[in-house]
Amino acid sequence: MKSQHPVQTARALHWHQLQLPVGLQAAAIKISVDGLELVQPTFDPNGLVLTFINHKGDLYVRPAGRPQNEEQPASPGLGLLSLASQPLLYRSSAPILFSALVLYIPAAWIDLFLRDNVQFQKIGQTLEQEGNIITCRLGRRQMSLFSAALLLLQDNPQDTLSIQNNLLSLLEYFLCNRHRSLLGVNPSSDIDNEDDLTLIREVESYISEYYCSDTFTVDSILKKTYTSYHRLNFLFKSIHGMTISEYIRNKRIEKSKEMIADNAKSISQIAYEIGYSSISNYILAFKKVYQITPGKYKKQMDNMI
Amino acid sequence: MSYVSLENSEPFLKCFEVLAEDKSCIVSDSVLYFSGKTGKGFITVAGIASGIEVLAVNLSQLTEDLTFHFQPSAGASSYLLCFDEIDVPGKGDSDLVLPQSAETSRQVHSTVSITDVIKGRTVTYPKDRIIRSLIVRVKRESLEQLIHDFDAGTISTILQSAGNEATLTWPITFKYRLLLNDFMAEIIQHPFRELFTIRNISILIEYLLQQFFVMNKLNRDGNSLSTQDTHSLSKVEQHLCLHYKKEFPGIEKLSRISAMSPTSLKTKFKKYYGETLFGYYQKNKLEHARKLLDNKVPVKVVATEIGYSNPSHFTLAFKKEYGFSPWHYLNPH
Repeated sequence: MKSQHPVQTARALHWHQLQLPVGLQAAAIKISVDGLELVQPTFDPNGLVLTFINHKGDLYVRPAGRPQNEEQPASPGLGLLSLASQPLLYRSSAPILFSALVLYIPAAWIDLFLRDNVQFQKIGQTLEQEGNIITCRLGRRQMSLFSAALLLLQDNPQDTLSIQNNLLSLLEYFLCNRHRSLLGVNPSSDIDNEDDLTLIREVESYISEYYCSDTFTVDSILKKTYTSYHRLNFLFKSIHGMTISEYIRNKRIEKSKEMIADNAKSISQIAYEIGYSSISNYILAFKKVYQITPGKYKKQMDNMI
Repeated sequence: MSYVSLENSEPFLKCFEVLAEDKSCIVSDSVLYFSGKTGKGFITVAGIASGIEVLAVNLSQLTEDLTFHFQPSAGASSYLLCFDEIDVPGKGDSDLVLPQSAETSRQVHSTVSITDVIKGRTVTYPKDRIIRSLIVRVKRESLEQLIHDFDAGTISTILQSAGNEATLTWPITFKYRLLLNDFMAEIIQHPFRELFTIRNISILIEYLLQQFFVMNKLNRDGNSLSTQDTHSLSKVEQHLCLHYKKEFPGIEKLSRISAMSPTSLKTKFKKYYGETLFGYYQKNKLEHARKLLDNKVPVKVVATEIGYSNPSHFTLAFKKEYGFSPWHYLNPH
């Protein structure tokens, strides 16, 4: 029952399920389909479900039973904690390569290991506040645990102990990560995601402050944040889906579009003001983003008025 | 010498009462800190659910030996799993192998062992050593539950294969060392202590089972080693573990340490640890590298840190071991 071949219908989607010795239940799926509408396996409603997903393509998540307009886009390499009474529904209208690892934590297990824990109670409270889903991005170590557990569940389900160890590590990581972000404490050095996100936020705010200045370069960001170009690019790609220079360009062009709409300045003036040193570069960039030259765009706007 | 005696029915926490009185220690939140006069470090207990109890000992510079005695108790169906790592302080820095004096040649080796509670067990932590040790008392059914899918009768098989001996002892390997190190570093301030403990115990049991199959095969083939040999081999193992930052010491030096001929050292080591000497050294080294990578250390720095002069050599070795390059490991998405 390996799901290597593309499966077309939702009915044929198959979860590999496994009862773990320690009292948890696991389920895994890895599929490549043209469109996806997939509900998590249902468990006893008293308890929590921790899901780890990874995918290539667009994916939307919502608790099943909620209206479609409540669904949210999900990025790859994500952990989601939700109530077992509201299994999650994954939807995609485009071709997608999707893999998920579900860990069901029964209420009895929570009582044994987590109920008395103050940190866990805080997480429980946030769970109620944040629309019944808590998310957390996975780091590199977690991604390798994720893929290892996924592979084992599909091909070697008898190796329960290894699967259990991988999943317990993931669970621990998830809770610790939530715990840290609740505290607002600097995460310890072995967790990269909180760090990475802070870095990205820092860079984003730096960009939005200086992107119009003509002395602004990517190098100046690197110097300011002590990161390498490749690392920053990789982070930007995984979060925004574009390189850092593309991100800056889009920001500038967006700004210029607003300025054109204001109709107060000429196009060449705008180009210099948003930091372009030559007009032809600016026109090319604008065309790349909006598939139209700024001049034509300006005419369109004029015609509309 | 301080002495703690526990019955099977008594919780591990009881040893705090004895020690706190005796050693002027500070107890706070199920952790017992040594004050520095009689030793440094801590002892902590975790009574995690479903019949598993853990006593974690992380001590150094003890001024006198510390002994835990687990009284034999008939009819109890529990096991004691001991994971003891005992190192001589400062040895990691010096290249010299100290000649073993009469006193140090006592039973101070790092071992992993399983004992049936019916027989009882005494664990002694010697003074002036670095001790990282976990003692796990687990009910038979809990243990079987923990590994039931894996192999039902494993534990009984393990103990049967021990013959009449009450305790089955195996050598410690770098995997245990790394795990004990991490465990001791994190256990005190970990926000989810029970979860952290059960995860680590589960991993330890996985290691234990893997090792069991190696050892079982060794016994079955009638190749079991003499005590002298196992001691020599564990000396070599320790040397390889501690000096992972340096170049591979070479077979001649290792054979001097173990007082064995190169050929018999090679074959016996392979049998006992399931790895060749260099393979073992390399695996340990790369595991350290992986931990550094987890901590966001750049690849170039990791390579230098674990003793590679050329980063691309490190990349090659890493790829050979794990099947993907360090870069790939860093960027999984």
